[in-house]
Amino acid sequence: MEVPAVRVEGLEKDYGKVRALKGISFQIGEGEIFGLIGPNGAGKSTTLKILATLLRPTAGKAEVFGRDVVEEAGKVREMISYLPEEAGAYKNLTGREYLEFMAKLYAKGGRDADEMLELGVELSGLGERLDDKVSTYSKGMTRRLLLARALMVKPKLAILDEPASGLDIINAYTIRKTIKALSASEGVTFLISSHNMLEVEYLCHRVALISGGRIVEVGTPAELKERYEAENLEEVFMRAVGLEGGQK
Amino acid sequence: MSDFWVLFAKELKNLLRDKKLIFGLVIVPLLIYPALGKGMGIGIEKARGETHVAIANFDSGDYGSLLIRALNSSPNVTVTLVEAGDVEAALERASSLKQNVLVVIPPGFSESIAENRSATVYVYGIFSSLGTGMKESVSEGRINAIIQALSRGIAEIKVKKLGFSEPSALLSPIQARSLSYIRGRLVNVSPSVVSAILASQSVTLPIVVFLMVTLTAQIAAGAIASEKENKTLETLLTLPVKRTTIVASKIGGTAVMGLIAALTYTFGMRSYIGSSFGGSNVSLGDLGIRITPQGILLFGVVVFLTVAFALSLAMLLAIFSEDVQSANTVVSSVILPLAFPSFILMYTDLSSLPKAAAYALLSDPFTHPIVAYQWMLAGEYARIAWSIGYLSVAALVLLYLTARAFSGEKILTAKMGWGRRRR
Repeated sequence: MEVPAVRVEGLEKDYGKVRALKGISFQIGEGEIFGLIGPNGAGKSTTLKILATLLRPTAGKAEVFGRDVVEEAGKVREMISYLPEEAGAYKNLTGREYLEFMAKLYAKGGRDADEMLELGVELSGLGERLDDKVSTYSKGMTRRLLLARALMVKPKLAILDEPASGLDIINAYTIRKTIKALSASEGVTFLISSHNMLEVEYLCHRVALISGGRIVEVGTPAELKERYEAENLEEVFMRAVGLEGGQK
Repeated sequence: MSDFWVLFAKELKNLLRDKKLIFGLVIVPLLIYPALGKGMGIGIEKARGETHVAIANFDSGDYGSLLIRALNSSPNVTVTLVEAGDVEAALERASSLKQNVLVVIPPGFSESIAENRSATVYVYGIFSSLGTGMKESVSEGRINAIIQALSRGIAEIKVKKLGFSEPSALLSPIQARSLSYIRGRLVNVSPSVVSAILASQSVTLPIVVFLMVTLTAQIAAGAIASEKENKTLETLLTLPVKRTTIVASKIGGTAVMGLIAALTYTFGMRSYIGSSFGGSNVSLGDLGIRITPQGILLFGVVVFLTVAFALSLAMLLAIFSEDVQSANTVVSSVILPLAFPSFILMYTDLSSLPKAAAYALLSDPFTHPIVAYQWMLAGEYARIAWSIGYLSVAALVLLYLTARAFSGEKILTAKMGWGRRRR
């Protein structure tokens, strides 16, 4: 039986008295682009952080390509690349030095750091500005650099929290195309969290709707739209959480 | 290149490009300290220059004139005779002539000496401004020395007239000659000079250790807290690198900065103390104190372990801080009280303290470089080995706790805004 890229079962997470995740379960197949959508505080980032080995679940299980994210965190980190929603780069380094630093850490087991760097330079689209210090970059430029860093290593699983946040239309479009291309050509699996329903609909093979720490629906965008007789995922979400009338 | 070296190189590059850090670590000790010392040295040199003495002579006898001749013939003294009706007028006149000192020879001065009674001469230091008063102090000392020499000369002449062939033996029947016995070796140097040499060492070292420890602790805390503040920590923690390697690289990078701080501050302090207070002509070697390579090595290990302890403590505290400002606040409030007791050893010898107080001081790792230095000079290597054992345990325990804290999720979830008002 094929091992799924991600397997989450009954995942719970408490922050003190606050229960952020209330037993969520889902699976992602290899090479799939999977979207996690929901409002602020729904539990998207917590789920992503658990899968990125940053947080420990209070209960339940999470695996990446069959490796437990708690017990085999080191092995999981070798397969993933994580882009947090609010991320920064080292301000005293140049963009190129930052990409080079990351490439050297990922270049193991015969993988070539120069190749990764070359791809990172291309994906960032920053041109000559890559030789300037990160402290001189705009928010959008920093985000492009970080996305390039996350994707240049061609991870088995890329976990991207709001990947296009802070990017203009052109850059956001380019990055979506890159994600699709990497999924198709390299078989990279993507787990993406986003507020942008259009982005999710365009990008994702399947989506999970999350609200109040629970997954309320999982399916392809087309399936969900049909199920809720909705024109777009925004309407699907509103109907699924009972904030707007509609059929199921 | 291994993960450690990749992270270490990044850490070092990031720190060395921090302008604020370089200012505190290089510019302050290498430029500002020597400049301060030079400024103070110039002040002392100026004070040691020419002394301008005004003399108001209200005496009509020979001894008053003798004193004026003695002052006139002394090097670095320029004498100006002032005519005045009383002392107050003489002071006003001397002040207007910008003299440093006024010497007043009162009426009946010669008569008293001639009749074998003690006579008094008044020396007034004239302060034209309220600065350090160094010039007035040097001038007064110089005049007093001349007066004392003259006084003794007069006494010797008088005693000789009484028929004593060796007046100096009569005036000073007991002569004291001070020597020092250091670690079984007789040294022809007075204890006060030995004490001054050792004191000059014991003043510099605690200051350098204090600055090095506090600075490196701040850098270490900043290295962790800035990862949180600049939102790079989450990415760093998901890289395919062991957490212990990340901690080790941060400690390594900061330790290099600590080494730079130690070198620049030692040089800066030496330059400051050397140019402001002058050096001694007697070296440790002249006292029979030899510093062996073995001693230097052991002392180096003690300093290294103390820095490792400070770094681990700072990192551990920074893990629970929200940002750089909070980290600096908490590190200062923990490290500074721990580093201050080392200053006690600037003035106190550990062996002169009650046992409980000595052990209490030694329980503080930051006092160890100071005592280890004294033990190194005394050749007491077994005691330094004991110190290394204690510091190793303390540093390892803290390193373990730091690595544990770094491996858990507290590093991401703890957001204590130490010293900051929450909104």
